[in-house]
Amino acid sequence: MKFGKRLKQQIEETLPAWRDKFLSYKELKKLVRLISSAESPEFGKADAGAEFMYLLNNEIDKFNAFFMEQEEDFIIRHKELQQRIKRVIDTWGPGGTKPSEAEYKDEMAKVRKDMVDFHGEMVLLVNYSNINYTGLAKILKKYDKRTGGLLRLPFIQKVLQQPFFVTDLVSKLVKECENTIDQVFPVEVEAEIVKEQREAITVAGKGIFRNTVAALLSMQEIRRGSSTYGHFSLPPLDFPDSDLIHSFQLNSPITTV
Amino acid sequence: MSSPLPALTSPFKDKYTTLPSSSSSPSIATSDMHVSALTHVQRPQNPTFISQSSRGVASLPPVNSSFPQSTASLNHTPGNEDASWSLDQLQKFLDLPENAAAPAPNQLAESGTDVMASEDHDKKTDWHEWADDFINVPDPDWSRVLDDTNVLDSKLKVSKQQPQFHQNQPAPHGEFSSNAYPSSTTPTKPRMRWTPELHEAFLEAVNLLGGSERATPKGILKLMNVEGLTIYHVKSHLQKYRTARYMPESSEGTSEKKVTSIEKMKSIDLKTSIGITEALRMQMEVQKQLHEQLEIQRNLQLRIEEQGRYLQMMFEKQKKVENEKSGAPSSALDEAPSPLSGLNHLPCNNDKSDSEALHQDKSRIGIDSGNAGSKNEKGTADVSMKQKALETESTHHVEKNDDESGFPVLKRARTEK
Repeated sequence: MKFGKRLKQQIEETLPAWRDKFLSYKELKKLVRLISSAESPEFGKADAGAEFMYLLNNEIDKFNAFFMEQEEDFIIRHKELQQRIKRVIDTWGPGGTKPSEAEYKDEMAKVRKDMVDFHGEMVLLVNYSNINYTGLAKILKKYDKRTGGLLRLPFIQKVLQQPFFVTDLVSKLVKECENTIDQVFPVEVEAEIVKEQREAITVAGKGIFRNTVAALLSMQEIRRGSSTYGHFSLPPLDFPDSDLIHSFQLNSPITTV
Repeated sequence: MSSPLPALTSPFKDKYTTLPSSSSSPSIATSDMHVSALTHVQRPQNPTFISQSSRGVASLPPVNSSFPQSTASLNHTPGNEDASWSLDQLQKFLDLPENAAAPAPNQLAESGTDVMASEDHDKKTDWHEWADDFINVPDPDWSRVLDDTNVLDSKLKVSKQQPQFHQNQPAPHGEFSSNAYPSSTTPTKPRMRWTPELHEAFLEAVNLLGGSERATPKGILKLMNVEGLTIYHVKSHLQKYRTARYMPESSEGTSEKKVTSIEKMKSIDLKTSIGITEALRMQMEVQKQLHEQLEIQRNLQLRIEEQGRYLQMMFEKQKKVENEKSGAPSSALDEAPSPLSGLNHLPCNNDKSDSEALHQDKSRIGIDSGNAGSKNEKGTADVSMKQKALETESTHHVEKNDDESGFPVLKRARTEK
């Protein structure tokens, strides 16, 4: 029960635009209920069962398509960003024509912001992949439990190899992005974050930043121990700066324009 | 951004291509697959699928009107069969469900396979077999499957100069994750997975041709000279590329305009309060953490499933041994090889300790007490079917040192937590 709600909530808070790209958890759950409750009409059961499988496979196709589409975009944009940085540094920075220091700073700031957001987007895609996987695992577990079937294990094996789950490339791009940012925008001495600043961030916590904070918190929630905690469950999540991130109190969900 | 391709890779095809399929086609119970495939296609209530399938000619598995033939083609890796793929075949495929009687059981009965027979326990059976097929079909070992993820990394480096499409390979890497049906009869493009190397080649070609505005898909395609790449792929990629280029300064060309405007708002707010740098730095921190956690989570999930599989195999091995000893379970267990000894206390135990929880799952395979007799029987048959497929692998796995420690590692993982 909780996962479905959580899932919905996270989608709404982070990526409403991707809403229909996520797992149709509720639907699948309905079908599982249907399968297990269908009485003697065998084709009632078979029908629901077939529908379940059909939907499952469809969902996987959906994930794959969407994921690879995004991935392709990321590949292109990643390259473009790299080139853009080079261009900016060459034309406006030291060694270039140096039209104006201010302009250079300005451009660099823009690039930096774009890079950080881009990084965030990619991470959100990885998050997307993961959430869907988690949902699949859960629904399969439910299925097995309700119908006494043995679908989970083999099916999950298949899922593990699906393109949408193999996020290696995107992760690699994420790391490259991090490296670039670290190189081009070296982190200065860590300023102390005053409380007001934190609040300011809260208020301004929109866009990608907000999305990723939401995603992180959500992940923590999902992994909290549950009644069905078992061998296949993930341990509770504890990440550094957990408190800090919790303090980014997310206010009312954003209504995207 | 080009419209998302209809991801029509039929589910079955995906299974067969993303798994490293061997060329041998297991004949066991593949008929179910077709039955299920038919069930998929025949959905009258699902117009989108049908309309998609009429577009997605290439992506549906090549099914002839007779089942046995299609069995073979379904199980083959992409390649020669594709050439024979034609619209006619698809027509037959689509026609089949229309001709068949509407209600499921009748049609299924007609299809000549008795898998979806009307008896209840056979129904359950069917899902078992269906599930089995996932295991049966990909004959090559699971270890190879797992290794693939490592192989992929090296492939990335190797293929820098000449990105090739290896159609026999499992999904990622500038390849078609679905079968590349490069037949000219198909108007739609099979889903393809781009890689940075491929993109580099693309860029080179574009630059040679005078830039993104002047380059034509055809020219690019020719210059790139990558096997399996179609003009449709190039077209859509070019379109994306152009979009990305001409969304310069304000924000990266996201397809989500809404996100864009939000980001703008954010930047204004931040400027007034704490300064962009700090905000960006924090944003980066959060994102990095999220990513790290995602990676950790993913690895955990992989490991969990891997060990689950290992245990499953051990379980089945034990079951097999039991069967052979015909009704002397304890003595059979005594004689089982050492990795199995840990499984001695499994069955019928409802204790909630960690190691048992997993075995609860496994106990359904056949040993447990709760199941109906008929199911139990079927469970055994299932196990033996799985055995056939897994025999080579199980011995392989048992001998591997890593897996020897699989079981205790699992326990360790729990306590570390």
